[in-house]
Amino acid sequence: MDNKNESNLNAHQRPRAAGIIIPTVIFALAILTVGVLLYRFYMVRSGQDHDDNTYDRYYVMITDDIKSSFWQSVYSGALKTAQEKNVFVELLGSNLSYDYTCEELMEIAVSSHVDGIMVYGGDPERMTELIDDAANAGIPVVTMYSDNPNSRRCSFVGVSGYNMGREYGRQVLNVLSDKRRLSYSGRSTDADVELSVGITVLVDMKMPSYDQNVIMSGLKDSLTWENTDIEYAIQTVAVDNSNPFSVEESIRDVFMEEDIPDILICLNELDTTCAYQAAIDYNKVGSVYILGYYDSDKIINAINRNVVFSSLAIDTEEMGSFCIEALEEYNESGNTSQYFTADITLIDKNNVSDFIAREEEDDAK
Amino acid sequence: MRSKLQSLPLSYKISGIYIIANLFIFIVDIVLLMGINALSVDMEMTYQDNRRLNELLLSLDSVQDAMTGYLNSKTTDSLSDYYISEQRYAELTGELGTQITDRPYGRMERNIKNMSVDYLDDVSQTIEAKRGRNVEKYRVHYEEATRLYEYIKTYIRSLNEEQFVTNSQMYTSLARDFRIFEFFAVAVMFVVLLGSAYIIIRVTGALIDPLRQLSESADEVSNGNLDATLPKSRYNDEIGKLTLAFGKMMVSIKEYIERIRMSMEKERAMQEKELMMETHLKDAQLKYLQAQINPHFLFNTLNAGAQLAMMEGADRTYEYVQTVADFFRYNVKKQDELVNIEDEVELVDNYIRILNVRFSGDIHYEKQVDERLLHTKMPSMILQPIVENAVNHGIREMGDKGQIRLKVFRDLNSVCISVRDNGKGMSREDIEKVVGGKWKYEEQTGDSNGIGMDNVIARLRLFGERDDVIRIRSDGQDKGTEVVIYLPL
Repeated sequence: MDNKNESNLNAHQRPRAAGIIIPTVIFALAILTVGVLLYRFYMVRSGQDHDDNTYDRYYVMITDDIKSSFWQSVYSGALKTAQEKNVFVELLGSNLSYDYTCEELMEIAVSSHVDGIMVYGGDPERMTELIDDAANAGIPVVTMYSDNPNSRRCSFVGVSGYNMGREYGRQVLNVLSDKRRLSYSGRSTDADVELSVGITVLVDMKMPSYDQNVIMSGLKDSLTWENTDIEYAIQTVAVDNSNPFSVEESIRDVFMEEDIPDILICLNELDTTCAYQAAIDYNKVGSVYILGYYDSDKIINAINRNVVFSSLAIDTEEMGSFCIEALEEYNESGNTSQYFTADITLIDKNNVSDFIAREEEDDAK
Repeated sequence: MRSKLQSLPLSYKISGIYIIANLFIFIVDIVLLMGINALSVDMEMTYQDNRRLNELLLSLDSVQDAMTGYLNSKTTDSLSDYYISEQRYAELTGELGTQITDRPYGRMERNIKNMSVDYLDDVSQTIEAKRGRNVEKYRVHYEEATRLYEYIKTYIRSLNEEQFVTNSQMYTSLARDFRIFEFFAVAVMFVVLLGSAYIIIRVTGALIDPLRQLSESADEVSNGNLDATLPKSRYNDEIGKLTLAFGKMMVSIKEYIERIRMSMEKERAMQEKELMMETHLKDAQLKYLQAQINPHFLFNTLNAGAQLAMMEGADRTYEYVQTVADFFRYNVKKQDELVNIEDEVELVDNYIRILNVRFSGDIHYEKQVDERLLHTKMPSMILQPIVENAVNHGIREMGDKGQIRLKVFRDLNSVCISVRDNGKGMSREDIEKVVGGKWKYEEQTGDSNGIGMDNVIARLRLFGERDDVIRIRSDGQDKGTEVVIYLPL
């Protein structure tokens, strides 16, 4: 009888005991599971940071202004081509807290034993020495945009200065025809348009005189061959870029002189930007025709707003890509072509909308 | 297992629950602490790279200082300083990575490492040249080394800054993780707290529940409901034992109360019987006294008459008067106590004798008595009323043919006294009426002493503690009647 009673009691009690024990166990398991999952999630996430590509070779690009969009564009072209070949290109100095000159960066590159150097050459002797040092250390050097023909650089990648000069000459003629058109239609009060035109070419102080000469001869050849009936006076103004900000000051000086040139030819991006800003500031839009260089957003907008007459754009990405190809070829075969020439494109009122569209496309990306 | 658990003492069970709950909280705490520990280790490691670079920078400085010191003073101390710091710096730069990756750190480390090789080379050449006192050479190498020193320093600082920025971002994200974890930990602790509180409340509730039920039952019992339902004992712990004991106690209390009730009932019945006996006796006495106004005076008077008859020589008169006196004396004396059968028989003898004088010996009286039974006790004033009935209602009108036969004998466990007459007899209905106590007497005659059959029967029933103390038998009209009374032996 007692046993029966006990088993009855147990039967009553079992669901009640289960009602306490089961939630307890589920509760404990749930807490522990959530904890473990969170912990694993955390570990997986913190472990994700270390997936990096590694590269076989290491090239550096040395320029005088790492922040300009011109050089950034060249660099991105180089990087794109390099990564296809499992090579990494670094815009040397971009990670450093101190702004070094091209020469100092060359020294750093040489003592860092990089696999290849692309350098904005120029022709100071010191650069020639450094290029030779690198060559002695077995590091191939490619000069970009501005050559150092006396050094042991393995290749030069740039634009043809002569072609640039010819193109600028053609633009000068376009400016003149534009001025004539305006005077015939009576919208211009400038009486002696046809008598003489003052052309000022802004020349980088560091630009090798050789390069300058090539450009100038191209310019003169254009004016001479294609139209002989105009009088022109070409003068060069050396833009001081030895100090930061001095470029802008030099260009403003041009606008503050009594005899302001009719046509201002700029040979780099910064000069163009400074010149058009000065033209706006001194209210010379329309009387000074700026022939610019490069296709940065600002310059394209300026062309669109008729502040800059036209601009020459180099295919910068192609230039960067040529640099890598030259270095790769040299590293593989021991020599490479001495010259690589990048294409020049003219941007003026007629085709600026294409560039704006492209720009917007890039922005959208 | 389950029954073992159930028979654990209550204190073990309660402390067991608390220990389990605390253990659970403890485990959760440990898990949370492990998480916090992992996070803080990560946080500590965040700036590890910066510390390493600082060490590298200090080491580089000490190489440069040692070299400069040696160039300045050429002491052996500075030379040994140079060797030590050079060794240390070479070790530290040896640890740097050489991989070229998308991220700048690896490349910068590689450049620092390569430049350091050149630098140490220049430094050692400087030292060599200084020892060889080759002034020109050591100047060139010194300048070279210093330039590299500056570059390396810039590199290390830049790398340090880069890493500091990245590490700060990492630190921020870690700190955010930490906050999240903190919130999570607090939430978990809160949930655990609620959970264990719930479990403790449920389990202790389940343990205490029988006690609560028991107290409710006890309350009910204390309010007088002895039939309150007792809780079933679930566990074999203290509460279970208490419940069991309470149940047993309740049962024995009920039994005890029942016993007391029964004995009180018995006592009450006894008292009632006594009271009834007394009442009937008093009733008989009252009736007697009504009939016999002053028996003492009467039988004293009779005694005087008897003496007078003796003196005058009238023996029969004397005897008669004496008998009458005895008859009445008996009534006075023996009215409230038990008497022997002998006394009752003697009273009947006297009564018959008196009647025979009155009716000139018409009644034939026979008696057949077992002498051994004569000392048996019985209530007084029983036989005489029966005989009186037999005479008055049975044989009165028969003249000298009337017979009365008295018999005392033993029948099983009873003493039987039979009074038989040969008179009119009784109908069955009348017998039932008399035995059932429903007989109504007619007007009292002068010949009766006033004690009715109902009184006699009631007293006999009280004395014998049973109902069938009397039996009246009659064979029919004129065939006589026999009254038998049964007395306990």
